[in-house]
Amino acid sequence: MNRLLVVRCPELLDEDEGGAVLRSFVDVIDAVEVYCPWVTTVRSGICSLPARGPARYFGGEDSLVRQVVDATSDITAVEVGVADGLFAAVLAARSGLVVPAGGTPDFLAPFPVDVLGHPELTELLTRLGIGSLGDFAALPESHVLGRFGADGVLCHMVAGGRSGELGELRQPVAGRRIDELRSGGRRGGAGRHGTTAGESGFWGEVSDADARAGRALAAVQDLIGPDAVVTARLQGGRGPAQRARFVTWNAQGGLEDSTLEAPWPGQIPPPAPAVVHPTPLLAELADAGGQPVSVSGRGLLTGAPARLSVEKGPWTTVTAWAGPWPSDERWWSRSRRRSARMQAVTATEAYLLLVERGRWWVEATYG
Amino acid sequence: MPTGWTPPGPVQPAGPTKRRAVLYEHMFVESIDSRGGSGAARGQARESLALLAERTRPVSSSQTRLLPVLPPLVGLFPDGSLRRGSTVVVSGPDRNTGGDISVALALLAAASEAGSWCALVGMAGLGAVAAHDVGIDLARLAVVPRPGAAWAEVTAALLDGVDLVVLCPPFSPRPAMARRLVARARERRSVLVVVPGRSGWPEHPDVRLRVSDIHWDGVGTGEGYLHGRRMTVTATGRRSATRPRHHHLWVPSTTGAVAEVTVASPTSPTTQP
Repeated sequence: MNRLLVVRCPELLDEDEGGAVLRSFVDVIDAVEVYCPWVTTVRSGICSLPARGPARYFGGEDSLVRQVVDATSDITAVEVGVADGLFAAVLAARSGLVVPAGGTPDFLAPFPVDVLGHPELTELLTRLGIGSLGDFAALPESHVLGRFGADGVLCHMVAGGRSGELGELRQPVAGRRIDELRSGGRRGGAGRHGTTAGESGFWGEVSDADARAGRALAAVQDLIGPDAVVTARLQGGRGPAQRARFVTWNAQGGLEDSTLEAPWPGQIPPPAPAVVHPTPLLAELADAGGQPVSVSGRGLLTGAPARLSVEKGPWTTVTAWAGPWPSDERWWSRSRRRSARMQAVTATEAYLLLVERGRWWVEATYG
Repeated sequence: MPTGWTPPGPVQPAGPTKRRAVLYEHMFVESIDSRGGSGAARGQARESLALLAERTRPVSSSQTRLLPVLPPLVGLFPDGSLRRGSTVVVSGPDRNTGGDISVALALLAAASEAGSWCALVGMAGLGAVAAHDVGIDLARLAVVPRPGAAWAEVTAALLDGVDLVVLCPPFSPRPAMARRLVARARERRSVLVVVPGRSGWPEHPDVRLRVSDIHWDGVGTGEGYLHGRRMTVTATGRRSATRPRHHHLWVPSTTGAVAEVTVASPTSPTTQP
C-alpha cells in the first residue's frame, strides 16, 4: 500500500459560494507541490501526495512533514500526517502523526467504527458489541462476507489496514473545480517543477503520450461534463458488478495502481464477462414446454432451461447452462438480496443471469 | 488454423502465416537460424530487424507507424500490427452481437501494455475485470460510457490524443459523419475501432473482423462453468479483400486472455501462453 502524506485544512473542508475557500486551498496545493509534483486533491480541504520519494529527498518523513507545515501554515490552519493508505493517512493528519511504516493496523485499532462513514454498518456492529476498528478487523474475513456483504468486506479491509480506499473519501468534482482554478496550461496532468525534475524517477514520469491523452480527455470533459469520463479500478467482490469501481477521470489523479487482487470466496471463476450491465436487464427463462423456470428454496432449478428472452425480446434457444449457484448478499442492508446466479449460452451469446424473488435478470454478457 | 494467406505488403517476411504469429517473440532465434541460409532467409531476417526497430521505438511516440497486437491476433492484419491512422470494424455473427466486444478489447491489449492510451466511447457497462484480464492497463483506459448526442464529437476529440479509440455508435451514422471520423483518425494517426453491434457502419474500413462459429466450452446441462470461447475471426480488408483470412481463436481463454486454437487440442482451451 502507498505511503501517503495528507494535508488537511480544517477550515477549508466546506466550500463557500464565492469560491474563496477553494482559492485558499489552491494556494495550499501550490505550496505543497514544491515537494512533489503528484499532489492529488481528495476533496475540498484535503490533498495527498506519495511520501516515499519526497521523504528520501527532504530528509525523512518527519522532516518532510515539518517543511510542509512551514510552507502552508501562513495560508490557513493545517494538519499533516503520514500513514499507509489514504484512509489511515487522513486520520493521521487529524492527529498530526507520522505513523511508522507497517504500524497502520495498530494505529487504526482504537478508532470507533463510525469513522468508516457507514451508519448502517456501524449500527449493526455496535449491536454485536464491536465498537472499534481493531475489533472489527479481528473478525475472520469469511464471516464478514457472509454477514456484511461486499461493502462490509471493503470496510473490513480498510479497518485492518489492508486497503486505504473507501469510495466516500474522495470528491472528484471538487478536484475538477480545483483543476479548473489552477489550469493555466497544465491541465494535461504534467507536473513539471524545477526542484524535482532530476528526481522524476521517484514519482513516475509523465510521458508525452500521457500529456496528449490528458488534453484529449479534458476536451471531452469540456464537451459533455467532468463526470462523463471515467476510469476503472478493480477491487474485491463476488459478482462482476462489485469487482470494479468507476471513478471520474482527473488530470491530477496521477498513476495510482488500478488493480487490487484479492482472493474472494464465492467468486465465479474466469473468464470474466466483457459487459457488466449498469442496470441488470430483465430476462425470462422457460423450459421446452414454455413453462417459466425458477430456482427452488433448496437452490435447484425447477426445470431444464430451453429458451431465454432478454428485455421482452424474441426467444432464443438455450444450448447449454451452468449453475445455479446460490448467493446471499448484504442481508444486513436494506437492499438485502437472496439470489442465485447461473450462466446460460445461446447460439451467439453467453449470459450471467441472476435470479431474485423469482425474477431473472441479465447481470452481465460475455460479449 | 490460419489459411495459406500470404501477406501482400513489401515489408512482410516470406513464409507461412503461422510463423509470423511468433515472429516477434522468437526474432533473434530466427535470425541466428537463418544465418548462412538462403538469400530468402537472410532477407527475412533483415525484414525482422526492420520490424523490430519499428517496435522498439517508444509506442507512445506518434512517429511509429504501427501499434502492436497480441501474438495470436498478428495474422489478422496485413502489417501484423495495427496501422496508425486506420479504421477497424469488428462485428458479431450475421447481424447479431456476440464476441465482437471481446475481440475489440483484445485488439487494445498489446498497445496498452506498451504504453498507449485507449478509450471506449458508448459502451455502458465495460467489464473491467475482462479488460484487465485480456491485458489492458486500466490506468491508461478512459471510458465515456454515455456520450449522448455528442458521441461523434467525443470520438473526434479522443482521436486527437488517444492512440486507440473504440466506438460503439448508438445508431448507424450518416456516411458523411462516419467519413469525418475515419479522416480524423487518419489525420491524427490514431486507430479507430468501431463495434457497430446492430447499428451498422456505412464506411468500408481498412480491416473488417467478423466473428463466427462461436462455441463455449465448459458448460452442459447445469454442470461446470464457462471455460473459454472458441470462435472463427475472419479478416477482410481493402488491400486484400479477395482473400479473407480465417483464424480460429480462444476469446477469451480460461484465463481471460486470447490464444490460438491449435490442431492438437481442438477442444481444450489450455493452450494460452
